[in-house]
Amino acid sequence: MVNAIGPQNLNSFSEASVSVEIETEDMTLNIGPQHPSTHGVLRLVAKVDGEKVHDVKPVLGYMHRGYEKLAEVRSYPQITTLVNRIDWVAGFSNEIPFIAGAERLMEIDVPERAKYIRLILTEMARISSHFVFNGAYALEVGALTPIFYAMEDRERVLDLIESVTGGRFHPNFNRIGGVKPAAGAGPTSKKNIQDLPAGFYRDTKVAMEKVIMAADQFQNLIGGNEVFKKRTKNVGVLTPETAEAYGVSGPILRASGVKSDLRMQTDYLPYDQFDYDIPVGENGDCYDRWDVRVKEMVESAKIVLQAIDSMPSGPLQAKVPKVIKVPQGRTYVRAENPKGEMGYYIVSDGGLGPYRLKVRTASFSNVSILPIMLEGALLPDLIAIMGSLDFVLGDVDR
Amino acid sequence: MTEVLIKVGFLAIAALNGAIIFTIMDVKGASWMQRRPGPLHVGLRGFIFPLAEILKFVQKEDIIPTEVDRPVFKWAPAYVMVSCVALFAVVPLSPTLVVADLELGVFFALAISSLGTIGVLTAGWSSANKYSLMGGLRAAGQLIAYELPLILAVVGVVIQAETMSLVGIVEKQIEWGVPFVVGGQIIGFLIFMVAATAEMMRVPFDMPIGESELTMGFMTEYSGIRFLIFYISEYMNMFILCAIASTLFLGGYHVPLLPTEWVNFYGPVVLLTKTAILGFILVAIRWSQPRFREDQLQNLAWKILIPASLVNILVTAVLKVGF
Amino acid sequence: MEEFFNKIKESFIEVTLEFETINIKVNSTEWIESHKKLRDEFNLKFFSWLSAIDWDNEVSVGEAPKESVSPCFEVITCLTDLANNNLVTLSTIISKSDSKIDSLVEIYAGANWHEREAYEMFGINFENHPNLEKLYLPDGYEGNPMLKSFELISREVKPWPGEVDVEGMPEESESKE
Repeated sequence: MVNAIGPQNLNSFSEASVSVEIETEDMTLNIGPQHPSTHGVLRLVAKVDGEKVHDVKPVLGYMHRGYEKLAEVRSYPQITTLVNRIDWVAGFSNEIPFIAGAERLMEIDVPERAKYIRLILTEMARISSHFVFNGAYALEVGALTPIFYAMEDRERVLDLIESVTGGRFHPNFNRIGGVKPAAGAGPTSKKNIQDLPAGFYRDTKVAMEKVIMAADQFQNLIGGNEVFKKRTKNVGVLTPETAEAYGVSGPILRASGVKSDLRMQTDYLPYDQFDYDIPVGENGDCYDRWDVRVKEMVESAKIVLQAIDSMPSGPLQAKVPKVIKVPQGRTYVRAENPKGEMGYYIVSDGGLGPYRLKVRTASFSNVSILPIMLEGALLPDLIAIMGSLDFVLGDVDR
Repeated sequence: MTEVLIKVGFLAIAALNGAIIFTIMDVKGASWMQRRPGPLHVGLRGFIFPLAEILKFVQKEDIIPTEVDRPVFKWAPAYVMVSCVALFAVVPLSPTLVVADLELGVFFALAISSLGTIGVLTAGWSSANKYSLMGGLRAAGQLIAYELPLILAVVGVVIQAETMSLVGIVEKQIEWGVPFVVGGQIIGFLIFMVAATAEMMRVPFDMPIGESELTMGFMTEYSGIRFLIFYISEYMNMFILCAIASTLFLGGYHVPLLPTEWVNFYGPVVLLTKTAILGFILVAIRWSQPRFREDQLQNLAWKILIPASLVNILVTAVLKVGF
Repeated sequence: MEEFFNKIKESFIEVTLEFETINIKVNSTEWIESHKKLRDEFNLKFFSWLSAIDWDNEVSVGEAPKESVSPCFEVITCLTDLANNNLVTLSTIISKSDSKIDSLVEIYAGANWHEREAYEMFGINFENHPNLEKLYLPDGYEGNPMLKSFELISREVKPWPGEVDVEGMPEESESKE
């Protein structure tokens, strides 16, 4: 039989035991697309009985931009610009699996230094994404202050990304075969290629120390708060079996107790050279999902610090033909993004652009679990559960 | 007739000033805790910020959606505000500086403070918006639940003071030499403050507004000056409940060591100081705590606060009879 | 990966390993059984995605295939084993005139939305799907946007400047001005 999926698997959503004796009529509550807590334009059509949610139907498509179709009429370097905008909270991470896929098809060996720069920037994107989650999630359960701290700390990380790539959200920094010379590096000539801006190592060290401090602060101020615990512990419990069947990945899956991290399992970037932990939750409730992300921030910061210390020197670009044509073939490359598994299935026919590009985004599968998780929840829990999934609508709708 | 006019004028000014003081405190507290530059540095160190806020709301268009119940929708904010202003009548600034020293001052205060609920409920109902309705219903449920511990906490004070007049309660505390919060009503005070926070619909009990869940709760459809009235009422309510709490539990206008014949001069200042201290605690809570869930809120009221306040009454009564 | 590939090879007829991706080709009638087998025997419990490819010689967007293909839909799923880190893609061919295939919702609950997406984008009917309705597109939208025959209107109105970009832009644009 299939993994049994249903409310019986999800334990009790709350300690509330409301027994309804009076015959009442369900009210259809339209949550979104314009609602403060739907992270953009997700729409939920919820059947509610007072505070109790009976049936939730997510309505997607308000952010659908048809990237898969647009990719069919673009060349590979142009698609990099496009995929930046899928999950805009961590724009840099989106480029990685696509570029890695194209490189795999072209059989290019990327220089180590370029890989390290990619790795550093991806981890920074992860940190900035988790900062946004931290602030926004506290806001969703009613604490108004943490978002200001989170945004302030994130700014430091974004500044670093900007100093290298020239863009805060949409860096468009990866090139097939490596990375482009950094924005702050001054004039580049063939003889003198400065790749990272002056003072980058020093600033990064300072920023990463601050990230570790900030994560500690979050653990104390938000995680240690009794009201926050009451709101999130044992709320929206997700079992690993359900998560797997629905393709739920990333921190949500790990919060449910599955130790699965593509950074360790695949070799799209040299993660195996560093020493770091993969935080795993126990109960798979909202608190664990929050906790896993905060711990991940610290681990990411550690990775960045190690990468800076062991940065290899060398060229930034492998030798690539001037007009990039990807040979015939198909491959699926996935990467661990802040939101979960992101992958590109590239079907190339030997042309300038892919014949078909399937974009597998994390949030899409993560959000598809919503109707099950919200069955029988209370309305405030609906917000808490939805927030703990940490999705971005660009990542859901593509 | 002039006396009535003066009294009414005093009420309006006191209520408005109280609200403005607390708005400044709230905003500055927030910006201090959140490292927001705006209200800390802009314009006279941020002190004219509330003025800008009020002006902003006044010049905004007062939008009334087509489907609303117009008269009810229009008058609901006024109703809420009036119930807040009326409370100012019974709070004594000194033994003589009081608009109405009622025999049943406590009773009046508690009765009037619960009237505001009707305004909130009608605002939610008449808005023809599901979020507003849910906000209104949450407010009603919450105020019913917390009215009880609020009253029961005060009963302890009334038993101890043997009077329901607010001036009388303060005089009793002067007679005892210590405020009631020290003299046996510490639990009553805590219950009163928790229940009052819920009455004010402030964090962590702000579910009727709950901007992340119900967008803005019962205020969703309001804009412009009507929204401003709700906004000001919230701070008036906060101010007056803090003033009542300091009168009931903290000795009101009295402070030891100062000559009692000058109480008319220092009384208002003392009361305002005590009120501001309580207000600051509320501000600190508001900007550092998340929101409870609706059922947790009800559990807290019915399972913890009400039994605790009943025990408090019992203990107070026994001690009163015993000694 | 080699080991796993060999193990898969024993159970399925058409298996390829190219560019680090194992691809299994099955007949559309064995669609359900193959997934069951992969899930239960090979422990591939994580449903990553489902999508389709529209193979056609006449295209209105992008480039046509270099070699002539027989027009058909290729439905692809991607399954993963989280514990052992194995990954396979499973594909099948269905005809365009009678584009239907059994739904996987019974086996992988997560296939639900993916199938709805493929249904609206390609017009593939997933039989026994609990609610096969549009996912992204608004009600009343006609056509299946991901078909190669579906025109990208903006491209029709104005050709994409990027195409020029790739083939030596500077001289051409300067000489025009």
